[in-house]
Amino acid sequence: MRRVLKFVVWLSVAVGGAGALAKVAFDRGEALNATWFVVAAVCCYLVAYRLYSAFVAARLLVLDDRRATPAEIHDDGRDFVPTNKWVLFGHHFAAIAGPGPLVGPTLAAQFGYLPGTLWLIAGAALAGCVQDFIVLFCSIRRDGKTLGQMAREEVSARGGFIAQIAVLAIMVILLAVVALVVVNALKSSPWGTFTLAMTIPIALLLGVYLRFIRPGRVLEASLFGVALVLFAVVAGQWVAASPSWARAFTFGGITLAFLIIAYGFAAAVLPVWLLLAPRDYLSAFIKTGAVLSLAAGILLVRPHMMMPPLTRFIDGSGPVFAGKIFPFCFITIACGAISGFHSLISSGTTPKMILRESHARVIGYGAMLLESFVGVMAMVAASAMPPGVYFAINSPASIVGGTPEAAAATISSWGYHLEAGTMANLAHAVGEQTLLNRAGGAPSLAVGMAQIFSSTIGGDRLLSIWYHFAIMFEALFILTVLDAGTRVGRFMVQELAGRVWKPLARTGWMPGILLSSAIIVGMWGYFLYQGVVDPLGGINSLWPLFGIANQLLAAVALVVATTILLKMKRLRWIWVTLVPMVWLVAVTMTASYQKIFDANPNLGFLSKANSLAAQIASGQILQAKIAETQRLIFNQRLDAAVTGVLALMILVLLAEALVQWFAILSGRREAILHEAPYVATQWAPGFTGTAPGDD
Amino acid sequence: MPIERAVHFAKHALRRFWRGLREWCGDAAYERYLGAKGRPDAERRTLTAKEFYVEQINRRYSRPNRCC
Repeated sequence: MRRVLKFVVWLSVAVGGAGALAKVAFDRGEALNATWFVVAAVCCYLVAYRLYSAFVAARLLVLDDRRATPAEIHDDGRDFVPTNKWVLFGHHFAAIAGPGPLVGPTLAAQFGYLPGTLWLIAGAALAGCVQDFIVLFCSIRRDGKTLGQMAREEVSARGGFIAQIAVLAIMVILLAVVALVVVNALKSSPWGTFTLAMTIPIALLLGVYLRFIRPGRVLEASLFGVALVLFAVVAGQWVAASPSWARAFTFGGITLAFLIIAYGFAAAVLPVWLLLAPRDYLSAFIKTGAVLSLAAGILLVRPHMMMPPLTRFIDGSGPVFAGKIFPFCFITIACGAISGFHSLISSGTTPKMILRESHARVIGYGAMLLESFVGVMAMVAASAMPPGVYFAINSPASIVGGTPEAAAATISSWGYHLEAGTMANLAHAVGEQTLLNRAGGAPSLAVGMAQIFSSTIGGDRLLSIWYHFAIMFEALFILTVLDAGTRVGRFMVQELAGRVWKPLARTGWMPGILLSSAIIVGMWGYFLYQGVVDPLGGINSLWPLFGIANQLLAAVALVVATTILLKMKRLRWIWVTLVPMVWLVAVTMTASYQKIFDANPNLGFLSKANSLAAQIASGQILQAKIAETQRLIFNQRLDAAVTGVLALMILVLLAEALVQWFAILSGRREAILHEAPYVATQWAPGFTGTAPGDD
Repeated sequence: MPIERAVHFAKHALRRFWRGLREWCGDAAYERYLGAKGRPDAERRTLTAKEFYVEQINRRYSRPNRCC
């Protein structure tokens, strides 16, 4: 009877999900309600978790709870800490959830809500969650080794080196692009800039408290810090209202870029306890709170989708970024469906804390489903605003024009009606000078979130507070990614530089710290500056570059996972990782090729460089602008070179893996797995002790 | 009786939530360290709460721990 009941419940979930998804995909009537998106996503996730992840766990990985995990074997109270399943789920989710699933879907809304939503759901269930889950499993079986170490041992030494370089490259591009999102969000915004600036002294205060007054009391310190940050959001409006204070906190893009570069350098050099760690605590609490509030807001308000399911820009002529749905929808969504960066978390911290192998399913697969849901919510928030407003915020001035009248005329000519006064009224309502040409996703997401929040609490009166709360939330945790990433990048540079000159690898040697910090900050800072001065707004070129780098890293992770599964003789089910890997290689190679060689100057880096060079040669560029244009030409060629090198790296790694696979399958090479030896758990059934945290 | 059971259940759930929250945010890390069975310095010297806090965050922020 119970089995029948279970079957009926799951059948209802599956039918409900299919029905809601069909409504999202095929309904062309009145504006669709967001509830359909939530129902479609949640039901699909439940079915994917119940069926697909169970299949992967049982048939492909054969998880074994009788086998001791690294946390049980080493249990040193530092890295290896046996941790309750749900606590570790929270840790893992806080680590993997970054700005990507918020910004990517917001940008991809330029194609309409349908392509992005479908990829967020399907990509997560079939690729992203699978990658996180299997890499986590592989790392657990290898004492918590990193992706680079696993690539070196299981694929080849060269494969490991390529993975290491790929991680550094993605880090540089990632840091540049997220910094650009912050610059575009805070440009000419004294309220937003003040609020974000205040998080620095608040973090310093917390740092001193946690280091000297109440060591390690993170909860009380963070709650106090969060209260101060929320006060700073409110105080920001007084700053914006005062002409002299507003002037002091109003910066252009270039100044903001240099301020962020200086901040990144300071965060990499200063002691971790002083700035970086306390900021991270603040960010973790605010991030969790904001994501939960957004989910609650969407369920309460149930906004209607103003964006059509498909826009005219599926042909590749979009103003936010150039390129057709294939491959650029997948490249742009990136982290919300599959993120290569997650494989670094799944093969670093989490595997050392997991209590039992079976927990890998909910932590690896489940946490990524939740991240995908965050992406769906971002898509809902972006699609709930009128498309005219969306395009006015996210399009660069060089495409839609720099004045409200010009922008309204251009965007209306695309078929998305926009009055010239609409943007000015909206900017006034959210307490900003302008919302035009704020490419990067953060301001439009903040407008969407503010409209949802203010419909729940406060109405139009609180719209400006909610907008700046959303901007603060996005910028705060983007800067957390930036400072933590810069510091990790510094260690990577030190490790690589140490191969040339040993003292540089010493992590406590101040000249080495300063030099390696300057190198990593200089690298991402250059790309950031390039994005800020780019006439197309920077996001147009940098976000796809970031997406390509991220998806390439995911391909690296899947190559490693497939090699390990092959060595484990799981040939029958090898398609579980092989198909997403082939898909990712196809997507990234197509995108890389188009970004480098496409004849459309808005899409191809080289054709853009050539078109600018031709304009100089034909005298169309003013004498005073020639040096600037030549810098733009250099930047386009640099972007082309970076894309080419990234693509080449994955091809070399793939070739290495294919040689290895062929040798194993043909019997010419023994399939040697580098798993840690089997140790029986003390916590298996029959053991009378209590596993810490497992109650 | 049902009220007593409900109160007991609520107390138990709150206690578990509180413990989970302390573990999630790192408040319980030092207690975990003191109770760890495989601690390499267990035979030598136990770190103080201050030393442990600084050492722990130095290690945590030396590897990728925040994602995009």
